[in-house]
Amino acid sequence: MVSLHRTIRNLRRVGLREWWRQMQYIGDAKSGRLVGTDAFGNRYFENMDATEEIPGRHRWVDFAQHEYHASQVPPEWHAWLQHIRAHPPAEDALIKRMTQPWQAPWQENLTGTRGAYKPYNTVAPKINTWQPKVIARA
Amino acid sequence: MSLARQQLIRPLSRSPLLSFSTFRSTLITQRYISTSKFAQAEHHDHDHQLHSDMKLLHKGSQKPLYANHDKDIERYKRGATAVDKAVHLFFITEIMRGMWIVIENFFREPYTIMYPFEKGPLSPRFRGEHALRRYPSGEERCIACKLCEAICPAQAITIESEARMDGSRRTTRYDIDMTKCIYCGFCQEACPVDAIVETQNQEFSTETREELMYNKEKLLANGDRAEAEIAANLHSDHVYR
Repeated sequence: MVSLHRTIRNLRRVGLREWWRQMQYIGDAKSGRLVGTDAFGNRYFENMDATEEIPGRHRWVDFAQHEYHASQVPPEWHAWLQHIRAHPPAEDALIKRMTQPWQAPWQENLTGTRGAYKPYNTVAPKINTWQPKVIARA
Repeated sequence: MSLARQQLIRPLSRSPLLSFSTFRSTLITQRYISTSKFAQAEHHDHDHQLHSDMKLLHKGSQKPLYANHDKDIERYKRGATAVDKAVHLFFITEIMRGMWIVIENFFREPYTIMYPFEKGPLSPRFRGEHALRRYPSGEERCIACKLCEAICPAQAITIESEARMDGSRRTTRYDIDMTKCIYCGFCQEACPVDAIVETQNQEFSTETREELMYNKEKLLANGDRAEAEIAANLHSDHVYR
């Protein structure tokens, strides 16, 4: 049971509209600094005040999609959200240096949809059927 | 009831004091085991009924083994003692103290992490979904040395290779059966060119078993998407590798 004081405090900070959205998704009134937004529109928040957020709950994401899923977070932000990297990707020099020009855009887990991965053979067949080709006589 | 038992019980039931005491205790403290009838059954001297050689042992001693048993039983004849009642009382307070902790924690803030909005900390060495990496030039790293295939304890990796048009040897098949994989990380340790790695992605669960039979293109696509995170994690641990 979340304390009434915490709910009212965070409701006053983020506003009624944002609070209603939080209650629909996270199910808890949270307030913090907007750290950034990724290419998909997911918003990332942080509140490092240990008296307001329990350590472990101090970073969170607000998904852009209604049908949210954990795999909608791109890898760079995933590293920040799971506390692997200390800084968000925009401020992380190492992440910026390691980003390659040929990198593909992130794709969420598409299982259960038509975009789901289907395994296929990547090798040319080793045994081919005989083709009855007749060589024309001279 | 055997004749011998009747003989034993008759003097007990005839005693007015004892019958009154049992009646009183059943009325007042019925639920106490310590005051129930079977707990108060008087111990009888079975000395004369011993049919084994043990009676020789008892007869031989100067003092009978249960000589002063009347004194031990005496204090239980009046129902529950103060100690018995105190024990039951303290158990009730114990339960009440336990329930108080439940009430306290009901009003406290929970320690639950609201997945998937919030996530627990993960190591840069975490071993999740596999990926095949590329060099910064875009050339694929894997040289088909098959060390990962050899070391894989679950034998989940299958590799076939051919020489490419330019003469360099590359894999034509790099299949990982993710249903066999035990995520031990031996493949990424065995790899001499850091081609096969396990990314930090753990949210790749699928609806069908078929989707977990990864082929080379799926693994390369995983690497292409997560290259920045993979490289940063490898770099953060490069001192220890």
